[in-house]
Amino acid sequence: MDVALSRNGRIALRALFVLVVLFLYLPIAILLIFSFNNSELPAFPLSGFTLHWYHQFLTNADLKAALQTSAIIAAVSSVGAVVLGVLASVALTRRRIKGRAAVSALLLSPLVIPYVVFGISLLLLFHTIGIPRSILTVVIGHVVISLPYTILVLVPRLEQIDVSLEEAAYDLGASRLRTFRSITLPLILPAVVSAFLIAFTTSFDEYAVASFVVGTRTTFPIYLYSALRFPNQLPQVISVAVVVITLSLVVVVAAEVGRRVAEQRLGSLENAG
Amino acid sequence: MAARRERVRLDLTTPTLLGLPVAWLVVFFIVPIAIVAAYSFDVYSLFPGTHGFTLAAWREFVHSPVYLALFWKSVKMSLTVSAIIVVLAYPLAYYLALSGTKRKYVLLLVLIAPFLTSYLLRVLAWKVILGDQGVINTFLFWTGVRSPGHPISQLLYSRFAVMLVLGYIWLPFVALPIFVSLESLDRRLLEAASDLGASRLQAFRRVTLPLSLPGIMAAFLFVFIPTLGEFVTPSLVGGANGYMYGNQIVDLFGTGFPDWETGSVLAIFLFGIVTVLTVVFTRFLQPRRVAAD
Repeated sequence: MDVALSRNGRIALRALFVLVVLFLYLPIAILLIFSFNNSELPAFPLSGFTLHWYHQFLTNADLKAALQTSAIIAAVSSVGAVVLGVLASVALTRRRIKGRAAVSALLLSPLVIPYVVFGISLLLLFHTIGIPRSILTVVIGHVVISLPYTILVLVPRLEQIDVSLEEAAYDLGASRLRTFRSITLPLILPAVVSAFLIAFTTSFDEYAVASFVVGTRTTFPIYLYSALRFPNQLPQVISVAVVVITLSLVVVVAAEVGRRVAEQRLGSLENAG
Repeated sequence: MAARRERVRLDLTTPTLLGLPVAWLVVFFIVPIAIVAAYSFDVYSLFPGTHGFTLAAWREFVHSPVYLALFWKSVKMSLTVSAIIVVLAYPLAYYLALSGTKRKYVLLLVLIAPFLTSYLLRVLAWKVILGDQGVINTFLFWTGVRSPGHPISQLLYSRFAVMLVLGYIWLPFVALPIFVSLESLDRRLLEAASDLGASRLQAFRRVTLPLSLPGIMAAFLFVFIPTLGEFVTPSLVGGANGYMYGNQIVDLFGTGFPDWETGSVLAIFLFGIVTVLTVVFTRFLQPRRVAAD
């Protein structure tokens, strides 16, 4: 007898799972359908197939500029967050730290701050020290938001690695930096890559904090937000939505599969060594 | 070897490693919040005039008929959303973790993937679906269920719309911590319960549910906190009816009639509540060794 689930229970739960997945994907499917619909209004009945909206968004200069700005901010802030995250994670897993609980609480605390509070706090800070709002101020905020996510990805991986590998390198005369470069970094590389991707997507999609500290160069989420308020821009935005959602789904799946494969291979290397 | 290990641990590079990340968070996270706190007591202000410590804005906040009522409304909305989706996500996580399905990680990814796509675009989807001229209403007109002059207009710009969209957005994420806690559950405990004569329901109530409680709590907290301070979804699909506490904060810092001092009070109050909740919950979540060993 299965101790966790009866046969009927299993069937009921599977049905519930299917229903919830339908609920989650149906709105996305509806966007997909209406992105090809030949009408100013996303409404039934469907009025014919068109690629007009896709064409229009490809030639929309404002939108392209916004996408570019967000790509720059996401790239810079995710590199920043990953660098800080690697430093912090190595310290948390490899060093004896005084007040360790307080340090890790501080490092993870941005996870639980309401973004509206963080947004106005940054706004007041930049007003106070006289930094004009720009791409840089958004980057600063996004590094703070992404940092805990990178730590959450990196720490478990660092804990998995056998410390004796690093100790061996160190005993053989490698400097600390050399040990990190030749032993630790290659072993945590898959986790570093997924930390980077998480930080990148977090930043690319972030509206709440950016809305307080953004300068004159609009980011993609801020462009979207204002477009959402004007119905005549809706069809175009829907086609953008389809492209972005599809791309991010592809990246997410690829990153997860890639990380698993890479860590399995590294795992077998470690065991062999 | 022991001596060598000691040298590794006590190496001076620890400050170099921690210095930058800690400094970043102190300067760009802790100090800004401290500035808002100072602002709320009028110890500090960006506007000219005389300023000094006063509780005036806090007093106004406590006695105002608007702010606390709005806060409770937001608490009720996010509590409802969090409770419903935790209850809904639990059986899903249970199915993935304990049914012995071989493709549990693939199915988990299917469940979570929507959470990792654009937040605003998922709100957009519901705007398209719920509007007066949206997918649901025009579908009803088209099929003749309702006449075109009479859409179901409560669908969009309502408290219902805000709660539906927030639930939709956070549901995939909630399944994750519950899944993790159920996954680490030792199945032998269930077998032992069964051998000792417990029914499945008893085993669930006495073993599985208590052991997955930390996962449930974490899931709840991770939805409740962001939805409590939410302002993006309500401003897009909420209308006047779905206006939340977070919107009030934004408006106090906004372009209309900005009142940064009152806004700071509202922000610090929310921050305080969230911090207390987090501290209490993390105490509660401290891993207690009740499992197999």
